[in-house]
Amino acid sequence: MMMLRRRLILPLIVLAVPEVAHAHLVSTRFGEFYSGLLHPLTTLLHIVPWLALAIFASMQGKAFARHTLPLFPLAIGFGVLLGYNLGGYQNVLMLNIISFVVLGGLVALSRQVPGAVGLSAILLFAISHGYSNGDVDLAGGSLTLYTAGVITAAYLVIALGAGAATTLNERAAWGRIAMRALGSWILAAGLIYGGFELMGISGA
Amino acid sequence: MKTTFRSIYKLLTLLVLAGWSSASMAHAEVGVVSGLTSGLLHPIFGLDHLLAMVAVGLWGAQLGKPAIYLLPITFPAVMAMGSLLGVAGMPLPYIEFGIALSGLTLGAMIAANTRPALWIATTLVGLFAIFHGHAHGTEMPNATNPLAYGIGFVISTGLLHLAGILIGLLIRWPIGAIAIRASGAVISGFGVFFMVSSFGLAG
Repeated sequence: MMMLRRRLILPLIVLAVPEVAHAHLVSTRFGEFYSGLLHPLTTLLHIVPWLALAIFASMQGKAFARHTLPLFPLAIGFGVLLGYNLGGYQNVLMLNIISFVVLGGLVALSRQVPGAVGLSAILLFAISHGYSNGDVDLAGGSLTLYTAGVITAAYLVIALGAGAATTLNERAAWGRIAMRALGSWILAAGLIYGGFELMGISGA
Repeated sequence: MKTTFRSIYKLLTLLVLAGWSSASMAHAEVGVVSGLTSGLLHPIFGLDHLLAMVAVGLWGAQLGKPAIYLLPITFPAVMAMGSLLGVAGMPLPYIEFGIALSGLTLGAMIAANTRPALWIATTLVGLFAIFHGHAHGTEMPNATNPLAYGIGFVISTGLLHLAGILIGLLIRWPIGAIAIRASGAVISGFGVFFMVSSFGLAG
């Protein structure tokens, strides 16, 4: 009987123990870094064109992709600072939509473009996407950590995406066809998104 | 007696753990996931869409390069424009007829092993893509996340093309080539059924 009582008490003590877990550091220490990292990665509007940009960079050749590796994240970072300090211009969204369509279309067409034109386009689109990521309310949080998070996300997408695309292109006969097909999907998604914006339908 | 204690103890522990549980937030961004899922499933659960999409891949494989990738690349882009017509509420006459005709025509092309000029094949596929896109588009504004829905049906359509291409790779064997032509005949037959249905004459 004593044993039964003891065993009854144990679950009751366990019930009184639980506290709020702080396993996810969103609200503590490096929280803004994770916010910055996840913001573009969990938004279709950013992650899809970024993926197209990575494939486009790899299609332009390894030298072009190497130039893109530092250029894209740094331009994104500049855009974030621009968006944070001079936010509120909703027209920048149109550039993001154009990036969706243009990059998807370029991947689908698998066309080589002059290096300067390609890098300028990447620079422009990176700043516009960075701007959209920076136009947020950090509620007193660290802008440095948030920007570092967005830059890290941009670097990860461009490095892993371009690396995977280059490997696929070199090692699989169907690699380029698969990437062109993916480009057409991105182009289609961009057209749908652009149409939504023009018709004033929210949902992105 | 000892066994009874153990059972009571286990039961209590279970009850405590059950009472302890809180809402699971495993599914973040419910709207995106739901929209994506609806979009992914829409072409698959509509047999008329499904057969036509697979037929595009099959026909591409039968025609060989460059049609094998040009047809599946053309289709999603044109379909997206068709879906926007649907979203805008722009009426497209004989939409069900057009979708049925796509299955019938593409199936017949495969069955007859027809090899038109590339631009004719691309134009034909693009034309049918408008009807399929419009049908998806009319349902899009009702989705929990319209963009996710749009991306979902684009991916689903692309994967169905891919399925058609993979089946179409059987063409390298003589018996496979016959099987593909037979598949085309079956798709065409379904196309006839869908066409009859679109006039309200079936079922």
